[in-house]
Amino acid sequence: MEETNRQVPVTVLTGFLGAGKTTLLNRILTEQHGKKYAVIVNEFGEQGIDNDLVVDADEEVFEMNNGCICCTVRGDLIRILSGLMKRADKLDAIIVETTGLADPAPVAQTFFVDQDVANKTKLDAIVTVADAVHLSSQIEDHHEAEEQIAFGDVILLNKIDLVKDENIEVVTKRIRKINPFAKIIKTTKCGTPLKEILNLDAFSLKRILEVEPDFLESDHDHEHDDDVTSLSFVSDTPLDMEKFQNWFGKLLQTKGQDIMRTKGILNFKDENDRYVFQGVHMLMDASPMGKWPENKKRSSRLVFIGRNLDTMNLKEGFEACKSE
Amino acid sequence: MTTDLNQFPELDKTKFEQRGIQLEIGVPVTCAVSIGNNIAAGFGDGTVRIFSSREKHKTLKAHKGVILCMSRDGNNILTGGDDGYFLKISLNGEINEITNFGSRWVDHVAAYNGNLVCSSGKVVYYWDKNKKEPKSLNHDSTIGGLAFDAKGRRLAVSRYGGVTIWKKDYSNKWKSTKLDWKGSHNKVSFSPDGKYLVTSMQENVLRCWRLKDKLDFAMSGYGSKVKSFAFISDTSYLATSGAIDAICWPFDGEGPMGRKPICLPYIGNKQVTFIEPFPDEKAIFAGLSDGSVFLSQIENENNTIIIRSFTGSEVSAIAMTDDKSSIFIGDMNGNTLWTSIWDQ
Repeated sequence: MEETNRQVPVTVLTGFLGAGKTTLLNRILTEQHGKKYAVIVNEFGEQGIDNDLVVDADEEVFEMNNGCICCTVRGDLIRILSGLMKRADKLDAIIVETTGLADPAPVAQTFFVDQDVANKTKLDAIVTVADAVHLSSQIEDHHEAEEQIAFGDVILLNKIDLVKDENIEVVTKRIRKINPFAKIIKTTKCGTPLKEILNLDAFSLKRILEVEPDFLESDHDHEHDDDVTSLSFVSDTPLDMEKFQNWFGKLLQTKGQDIMRTKGILNFKDENDRYVFQGVHMLMDASPMGKWPENKKRSSRLVFIGRNLDTMNLKEGFEACKSE
Repeated sequence: MTTDLNQFPELDKTKFEQRGIQLEIGVPVTCAVSIGNNIAAGFGDGTVRIFSSREKHKTLKAHKGVILCMSRDGNNILTGGDDGYFLKISLNGEINEITNFGSRWVDHVAAYNGNLVCSSGKVVYYWDKNKKEPKSLNHDSTIGGLAFDAKGRRLAVSRYGGVTIWKKDYSNKWKSTKLDWKGSHNKVSFSPDGKYLVTSMQENVLRCWRLKDKLDFAMSGYGSKVKSFAFISDTSYLATSGAIDAICWPFDGEGPMGRKPICLPYIGNKQVTFIEPFPDEKAIFAGLSDGSVFLSQIENENNTIIIRSFTGSEVSAIAMTDDKSSIFIGDMNGNTLWTSIWDQ
């Protein structure tokens, strides 16, 4: 394929009802002077978006016929992005606002699955706006709120002016338990420098090398079995590539529905290159990313976010991939 | 008019380029159709350009945004855009608004004998040529494509989960039948003999129904999405894009089941992105992802000539005039060629 045009970055804005998505959207649109944005909104969304290129979307989610039940994509997004790429004026960025009850996975998966979309646009980051006042109860009551936290690359913890400091701590901890690698930004009225949320390139493999996730001790005493949690593993012992591929491939194939996001840097025995990967459910992007830096210790790091992680024997599986 | 495939002077201009008119418009060409011996082409900035053999091309400012679709209606063209307008445009440049849906895009248009159809979102709007108000035909999901059969009696509407075929019964009421197959169906077409219906899907595959018994089957093996396909020479072949060869499935006799397609190779290993039949011949124009366009005889792969050389941008439109004298080619970067086919 010819790759003459640059890929237009796409930012996905997600967040539960009333968290402040529209406030953030309008902030982006009014503060970025001279930039050309397309905004894709859903027809039931809040009104009042100040932009001359607003496209209504239907949030039509469908399953791909590739034998994978968790591989759902946004059909409307494929159609709209293809249409936008035919425009005469070149767009600086595209922003997709999802409904408050949307699962972000199909949006992310669309960029893995459709070749034309992947050639001409790239998923820049998933930005989740969370309501500091109500997030804890929303997570308890609605699995969508939990999923939106799990998928976020950036989480804007908004409305902190309405919450006591100690409660902000509690909410932050709750977010961290679900998602250890998102950047959390505490805001009032979504006030944050735009460079913190745009052009992050969060889905590029290169970025994974730069962002160190917080490796918290995994906390296992959760109240529900279907809670979204994260688990991370580190090993200085080189891994056996074949063993790892077998284990990981099978794991995604059988548990891909429960595993929402994965990221990792891998140190394989007898390989000079670092291997980096990131995935959304069963879909994965992986590649060698150059030699290990001379001054850095070679170690493998692996993070999972998902449901029922403690039933998957992840620790045992990972240990068994060690080459010694 | 034949050249050996291996002897192309790749960077030289073809004789078609030398004698034709080449423009660098800088805006994607989104569609093109013939109107008699003229070609109308739609662009990403909302303009329509009309090319004719006698005069310089005409540029019309038709839509405010991208022209998403175009169809011929006698001596007019119909266009739909991302500005929500559904327009009828005459050869001499008169623009008439049929309707406008505001912020909703007009995704597909079609016409048969003065009856006009467009789709916007999940609804198909059908204007009987004698009526002012359209009839709305509703569907459960967004429409991927529209097509009349050769006699204009049936209208196929592709969507998520299959195809709905609409037909008026004897009391002039709309009746629909459904052909179901899981997945997202895009472009749809009846075979010219009316025996088959084909869709291209989101996955790299085509789905086909034999209409007499609703037997359905897949045509697969593509490296990318099949964005363009066309029936050739009545219903002898179905020529398709989506691979580095033009894949031509035999549709004569008992159809393509259990038979192998003819694969027409092109130099450079680039993906075929656009197929346009050469009317009444077993021959096709194939446009590639690098902008080159070839004319090939399906049953003689050595009989291939290059019409346009490399431009670096995916071919997105090809149309031939009714008298088969001239063709128009356009790509995603707005490079166009308008040229006569025959040596003078």
